[in-house]
Amino acid sequence: MSDIRHALLRRDPLSAAKEVLYHLDIALGSTLQNAPGLDKSTVELVEEFIFHVPKDRNTQRKRMSCVQELQLLEIMCSYFQEQSKDAVRQVIFSALFSLQGNKADESRMATLGKLVSMAVAVCRVPILECAATWLQRTHSAWCVRLALVLVDDYCTLVPGSISTLQNVCSASPRFCCQLITAVTALYDFSSEELTPPPSLLDMVVGWITEDPRLLLLTFINTPLTSSLPLGCLEVTPLAGLLRWCVKAPLASQRARKSAATGAQLEQENGAMCEELYSKLHLSVLQVFLMLQVHLTEQNLLGRLAVLQVESVAALVEEVSVLVEELNPLHAANQIQLALDRLAQALQVAMATGALLCSREDLRTLCSRLPHNNMLQLVMSGPVVPHGAAFQPSVYPYIHPARPTPLSPHPSLPALSPLPAHPALATHHQLTPHTAHSPLPPPHAFHPASMAFQYRPIR
Amino acid sequence: MSAMFEGNTLSAMQTSQCHTQNNYSPQELALEIKAFISGVDQTQGRKLSVRDHARCAVRLLRTVPACRGAVLEHLRGVYDEYVASFFQDLEAESDNGSNSTATGTNTSVSNLEDVVKEIHAVLLEFIRFNPKAWAPLVSSWAVDLLGQLSSKHAGRRAAPHSSSLNELLQLWMSCAATRSLMECYSQCLAAMLAWCPDACVDALLDTSVQHSPHFDWVVAHIGSAFPGTIISRVLACGLKDFYAHGYTSGEKSSQQQAMDKSSRVPKIGSVVGILGHLTSRHSDSIKRELLRMFQDSLSPSPQNAPPSAGAAWWENSPHLRRATVPFLLQLAALSPTLLGAVSVELVEFLRPPVLLQLHAQFQGLPREELENMLGLAVHLISQSPAGGARVLRFLADTATPASVIISGPTPSPHDGVREACDRLLQMLLLHLHKLVYNRPEGEEPYPHSTSACAVPRVIPFLEELQVHVGELCAETLRLERKRHLWLHQLLCLLSVYGGPSVATEALCQLLTQARNPEELALASQLHSPLSSSIPGLLPAAVARCVAQIHTQNLNSRELAQLLNNLATAVQSQEEDCKGGSAASGSSTHSSMAAQVGAAVSSHLHDFCPLLLHGDTMVSRAAARLLSCSQLPKACTPAQLLLISRAAVAHFFIALRQRGEGLKVGGQGGGEAVGYSMRLLSHLAGYSSLTLKIVLQQLVEGALHKGNRDLFGGQIETPGEDGALTPTQVPDLGASLLDINYKFGTTVNFSGSVWSVFHAGVIGKGLKPPHIPSQSDPDKVNQNMQTLLAVTVQCCSSGGGGSSSNGSGSGNTRYHPAGESVLDEPSPINAEAAKVIAVTLVENVCPDVANGELSWPPEEHAKTTVERDIHIRQCFEANPVLFHLLRVVAAGRPALCYCSAVLRGLLATLLAHWEASREPSVADSPWHLQASCLLVSCMGEGQLLPPVLSNIHEVFPHLSPFEVRLLLLGVWEYMRGNSPMPQKFTFIAEKGMFFRDFSRDGDVARYIAPIHNVLHKNIDRLGHLCWRFQI
Repeated sequence: MSDIRHALLRRDPLSAAKEVLYHLDIALGSTLQNAPGLDKSTVELVEEFIFHVPKDRNTQRKRMSCVQELQLLEIMCSYFQEQSKDAVRQVIFSALFSLQGNKADESRMATLGKLVSMAVAVCRVPILECAATWLQRTHSAWCVRLALVLVDDYCTLVPGSISTLQNVCSASPRFCCQLITAVTALYDFSSEELTPPPSLLDMVVGWITEDPRLLLLTFINTPLTSSLPLGCLEVTPLAGLLRWCVKAPLASQRARKSAATGAQLEQENGAMCEELYSKLHLSVLQVFLMLQVHLTEQNLLGRLAVLQVESVAALVEEVSVLVEELNPLHAANQIQLALDRLAQALQVAMATGALLCSREDLRTLCSRLPHNNMLQLVMSGPVVPHGAAFQPSVYPYIHPARPTPLSPHPSLPALSPLPAHPALATHHQLTPHTAHSPLPPPHAFHPASMAFQYRPIR
Repeated sequence: MSAMFEGNTLSAMQTSQCHTQNNYSPQELALEIKAFISGVDQTQGRKLSVRDHARCAVRLLRTVPACRGAVLEHLRGVYDEYVASFFQDLEAESDNGSNSTATGTNTSVSNLEDVVKEIHAVLLEFIRFNPKAWAPLVSSWAVDLLGQLSSKHAGRRAAPHSSSLNELLQLWMSCAATRSLMECYSQCLAAMLAWCPDACVDALLDTSVQHSPHFDWVVAHIGSAFPGTIISRVLACGLKDFYAHGYTSGEKSSQQQAMDKSSRVPKIGSVVGILGHLTSRHSDSIKRELLRMFQDSLSPSPQNAPPSAGAAWWENSPHLRRATVPFLLQLAALSPTLLGAVSVELVEFLRPPVLLQLHAQFQGLPREELENMLGLAVHLISQSPAGGARVLRFLADTATPASVIISGPTPSPHDGVREACDRLLQMLLLHLHKLVYNRPEGEEPYPHSTSACAVPRVIPFLEELQVHVGELCAETLRLERKRHLWLHQLLCLLSVYGGPSVATEALCQLLTQARNPEELALASQLHSPLSSSIPGLLPAAVARCVAQIHTQNLNSRELAQLLNNLATAVQSQEEDCKGGSAASGSSTHSSMAAQVGAAVSSHLHDFCPLLLHGDTMVSRAAARLLSCSQLPKACTPAQLLLISRAAVAHFFIALRQRGEGLKVGGQGGGEAVGYSMRLLSHLAGYSSLTLKIVLQQLVEGALHKGNRDLFGGQIETPGEDGALTPTQVPDLGASLLDINYKFGTTVNFSGSVWSVFHAGVIGKGLKPPHIPSQSDPDKVNQNMQTLLAVTVQCCSSGGGGSSSNGSGSGNTRYHPAGESVLDEPSPINAEAAKVIAVTLVENVCPDVANGELSWPPEEHAKTTVERDIHIRQCFEANPVLFHLLRVVAAGRPALCYCSAVLRGLLATLLAHWEASREPSVADSPWHLQASCLLVSCMGEGQLLPPVLSNIHEVFPHLSPFEVRLLLLGVWEYMRGNSPMPQKFTFIAEKGMFFRDFSRDGDVARYIAPIHNVLHKNIDRLGHLCWRFQI
C-alpha cells in the first residue's frame, strides 16, 4: 500500500482523490462477496487523499481548490449513479462517509453535506437513498448537521432553490422521511435560531399533506428485529412534528415579545405559519390513525410504542417551561392552543396505540401544565359509569363527518363521555379496530376528503 | 450599480417566489455543472468564452448551492481578468492616445463588464435576501479578492504609486470590478456590523497587513464609510493583537525607529495607517475613541461600571486593560497625527484619582518595562505638537512636593505618583537637553530659516512652548522649591532651541518680572549659559524692553520694576568694579552687568521721558536707572536737551515728594532726590552744553511759580492777576472779546509810571493780602540746601567733562545733613556762574531796557521804577534768589552780569529806606535782610571793595535814614566803578578770578559817609570800627 501512497503523493490532489476512489471501488467490489471489511490501509488512503487529513505532521499536502473539489463531487455523483449494484454502492458510501470518530470526521461531514446537496440539485436518487440509510444509522448529532447543511443551502442561502428540494420527495421519499426526522430533531424551538424557517415548514407540510404515509415510511420499511445504533434518530418524525405543532404557538408568542416591533410582513408570515402548523397537526393526527391500521395488521398494537413516553414527557416539560416564560395573561390564547393540540394528540395517540401510557401516568406527567379543558378531559377520562366503558361507538365521533360545524365546541359534549381508556396492558385485546376496519386505506387519506372538524379553541 | 435594486422592496418570501421561474431540470443542472467544470458547452461541444463561463457560474450559484465555493473561486478569475484588461486599456490609451487600436480590448472589457454587473447584482440580491448567511461569506471573499487584485496589479504601469492614496482610490474606484467588490463589501459590512463587528474588521486588518500598502485604499474607503464603528473596532483589534504579541518587544523597536513601521509589530502598523487615513476627516471621533479607551481601561471594576456600547467585550480582561496604556503610547509613537489628536486632552483626564489608579496599575510591572514606558512617554511629550504648556504645568504641579506653605492648584497627590512625575520631568529635561544640543551645527543661529540641505530637527514640544515663554518666566520667578529649577532649565533649553528671538524674549520677561535681587539673579543665571551661544543677547534684550516701553505694553508697576531691575544690574556692575580684585567672584554676573550698563546707556534717551511719568514709582525708578548709568559718548544736542529738561523737572518733583513725605516702594523721598541730584551732576559734567541747560533749567525751575513754595516763597493767590488770564478763570466764560471791551480804552502802559497798580485793579477792590507761606521752615531750608548743593555741584563740576571730581564722591546714598559741597569747597566755575547769572537776570528782569552793566546816577532810577518794583517783588517772593545770587557771586566775575538786578533791588531799597519813618530798621525786617544780603553778595562777588562790603554788619544798628546813606554810598561807588568782567583776572593757583581794587582809584571818598555814621553812633558801633579801616 505504501507504494500506492507514494505514487499518489506525487500527483495533484484531484487526480489522487480520483485514484483513491478507483482503488476503493476495486477493493470493495472484489471483496464484497467474501470479506465485507476494509483493511486499514485503504481507510487511511481515503482519509489522507479525499478528506485531507495530514498523515504525519511534516507533510502538509496541498488541499484541493474549490473547483477541484466540485470536480471530485461530480465524479462521485456520477460514480454512485452509474454503480448498478446497490450493495456495492452502499458499502462504498458507508466506507467513505460512516463516521470513524477521528479527525477526518469534520472533513467527511463537509464533503457529505456538499455531495448530498449536489445530489439533491441534480436529483441523484441512489445517493439520496444511501444518504437516507446513513441518516438512519448515524448518531443524531451528525444527522442534524447534515440537515442543517441542506436547510442552509436550500432554504436560507439561495432564494428560490427550495423547489429543488421539494421535488426530491417524489424521487426519494425515504430520504425525505429521514430528512424530516432530522429536521425536527434540529429545530426544537428552544431558541429563536432553532425555529424552522417558514420555507422549510412550508415544504415539510407540503410533503406530508401530499402523502402522509411518508412519515411512516422508515418505520414500515425497517425490520423490527434490526437493532439500531445508540443515539440515532427516532424511527418516525412523529414526536418531532408533534413538538412543532405544540410549541409553535408558544414560540411565536415569545418571538413577538422579544421583537416588539413586529412588522406587518412578519405578522403575515406568522399567520401563514399558524395555518401551516394547523395543517401539520391535522396530518399528525391522521398519521396516528394510519399507524393504528398498520400496527393492527402487523399485530403489534399495544406492544410497540411508536411514540415514546419519554419524548412525550420531555415535550410536556418543555411546554411547561415555555408557558412559565410567557406571561399567561397576554399569551392565554396561545397557551390554550398549544395545550389543546397536546391533548388532542395525546388522546389520539393513546387511542391508536401509538402511545403506551396509563392515565395515571399521564396525570402526573401533565400536572405541571396550566389548566386546559380538553387536557382535563383527556386526563380524567370518561365520566360515564363503568358499564359504558369501551363502547366502540364512542370513537366514531372522531372519524365520520359531524353535521354541526357551527357549534364552537362540537366535540366537547360528545367527547365528555369518552371512555376511560382501558389499561394499556390489555388494549390490544380490545376490538375497537373492528370499528375502524371499514376505513379507507391510508393512501386515500386526503384532507379534502376528510370531514374532520378541527377548531382550535379561541 | 446598486440602483437597479433600489426599488426592490419585495419580502424574502416574495423574492423566493419570484425566482421559481428559473427552474432547471436535474439533468440540465448536471450538464451545467459539467460545463462549468470542463469549460466546454456539453450540448454543442465548443469551448465556453470567459463571458459564457462566468454566466454559467452565476447560473450555478443561483441553482446549485453546493457549487457556491467553486463558483466564487471561479469568479475571482473573472474579476482578475477584467482588471487586467482594464489596465491594458489604460496603458494602451496612454501609449497612443485615443487610437483606434484600443477598441479591440475595449470590447473585452465591456464584454466582461456586463458579466461583472450580473455577478454584482446576484451577490447583492443574495446579501439582501439573507444577510446573516451571505454577508460573512461574501465579505471575506470580497476583501480577500480585493487584496489580491490590488497587490497583484500594483506594479502595473498605469497604476499610481502606492503612496498617493487619493490617486489610487480614484483609479480603483473607476474600475467596475473593484468598485463592485467594494460595494458588495460595504453592504456586507453594513449588515454584519449589527451582530459580529469584530469578525469583519479582523478580516479587514488581516488582509491589510498581508497586502499593505496596496490595500490601503480599501481600508480608507471603508473607514470613511463606517467611521464610528471602524475606528473603535480597529482600535480594539489592535489592542488585542498588541496584547497577544507582547508589547515589550514592540516598544523597544519603536523607540529606536519610531517612524519606521516595522514588520515586527504585526497589526499596529496597519492600525496606525488606517487611523492615519481617517484623521483627515474624522479626527474628532478618533480622538473620542482613544480617550474613551483610556478612560475605560482605568474604570475601576467592569462589574460596577455600566459597560458602554461595544466596550464591554474587552474591558472584561484585566490584562487587556493593563495593556491599554502601553498600547496607546505605542500608537501615539507611531503616528504623529494621532499623538496630536490625543495629547491636548489627555492631560485633562489625569486628575489625582486617575493618577492613583495608573500608579496602582503599573505597580506590578517589571522594572525594565516601566523604564521603556517612561522613555516612550518622554519621547512622546517631546514630540507632541500641541498642549505642551498644559502638559508641563501638569507635570510640574504633580511633581512639586506637597507643602504646607505653598498650596498648589491641585490637591497634593500621592507620594508615589509625585516621585514618578518628578522622574518623568527630569527625564524629559534630559531628553530635551540631548535633543537641543545634538542638533546639527548649521541651524544654530536661526533654526527656522535653514535651507533644505540640513533637515532641521524640529522638537514640537519646544516649538509650542516658545509661545508661552512669558508664562514660563512668570512661573519660574515664583521661586517655588524645585519647580523653578526645572523651569529655569527648560527656559535655558528653550532659548538655545529657539535662538535669539526666544532668548531675548525670555531675558526681557525675566528683567521685567523680577521683583527682588534673588529673582533678578535668575536672569543672570539664564544669561550666563546663553551668552556663549548667542552673541548680542543682552543688547537685544534691552532693546526689546525699550520697545515694550514704547508700545506701552507694561503697566506702571511692571515698568518701575523693569527700570529698577536694570538699575540694580548696572549698579551691581559698579560695585563689582569697586570691589575690584578683592572680590571678583562672579565674573559672569559682572559680565552681564557690564553689558546691561552699555546697553542701557545706548538707550538712555528712551528712558528719559519716563522721568516725567505720572506714576511716582516709575519716575523714581527711571531716575535711579539714569543716575547710575553713563551717558553715551555720542549724543545729539536734542537728546541732551530732552534728558536735561526731564531730569530737572524730575528733580523738583522729587523735592516736592520728599516734602510730602511720600514713600513709594520702600524708598523714601530722600533717596529719590539723591538719585536726581546724582543724575543732574552727571549731566552737568557731561558737556558745557548740558551744564548750561541744567543750570538754566534749575534756576528757572526754582523761580517757577509752582515751585516757589518749596523754597519758602509766597504762593501767588489766584485772584492776583487771574482776571487778566482767561486760563485761570475758565469758568467765567470770559472771552478775549469781553476783555478787550473792558480794557479796550486803557492802553497798556507797561514799563511806564502810569501802569503801576500796586494796591489792586480798579473795580476789583484791593488785592488780597499775601498768604504767608505755610511750609515748614525746616523743609524749606532742606530744599533750599538741596537746590544749592545741586547747583554748586553742577557749577563746580564744570563744563569740561571732568566729572570725576563732583560726582565721584559717592552720591549713591543721600545724606540729608552733609550734602553740601562746602565740606570740600571747590571753586565754582565762572562760566557756570555766568549761566546762572544770565538766567537770573532773564527771569527776574522783565525788560531789557537799561540792562547795561554800568550804573547810572542814582536819580535815573526813577525811570525804571516799575521794573525795580518787579525785581523787588521777585526777591520778596523767592527767598531762594539771594542764595542763588550768592552762588553767582562765588563764581566771580559772574555777578557783573546781574548788575541790572542788583541795581533794581538797590534802587527799591533806597526808596524804601528814604521813605521809612520808623525809628528802627528792625521795623522792616525784610528790607533790612535784603540790604544786608545784597551788600554781602556784592562783596562776595568783588563788586565792592572789602571795606564797603562790610557795611551790612552795621545795618541792624542804624536808623533807616542812615542805612539809606550807606546804601547810597554803595550806589555811588558802583557808578564810579562799573562792574565789568574785564576787571577780573584769573589767578591760576587759586583757580579763581580776582579783582584788583587798587587799580580802581581811591575808595576813601566813598568811605566818608560810613565814618560819619560810625562817628554818630560810636556808642553802639565802636566795636565795629576796625572793620572799616582801609
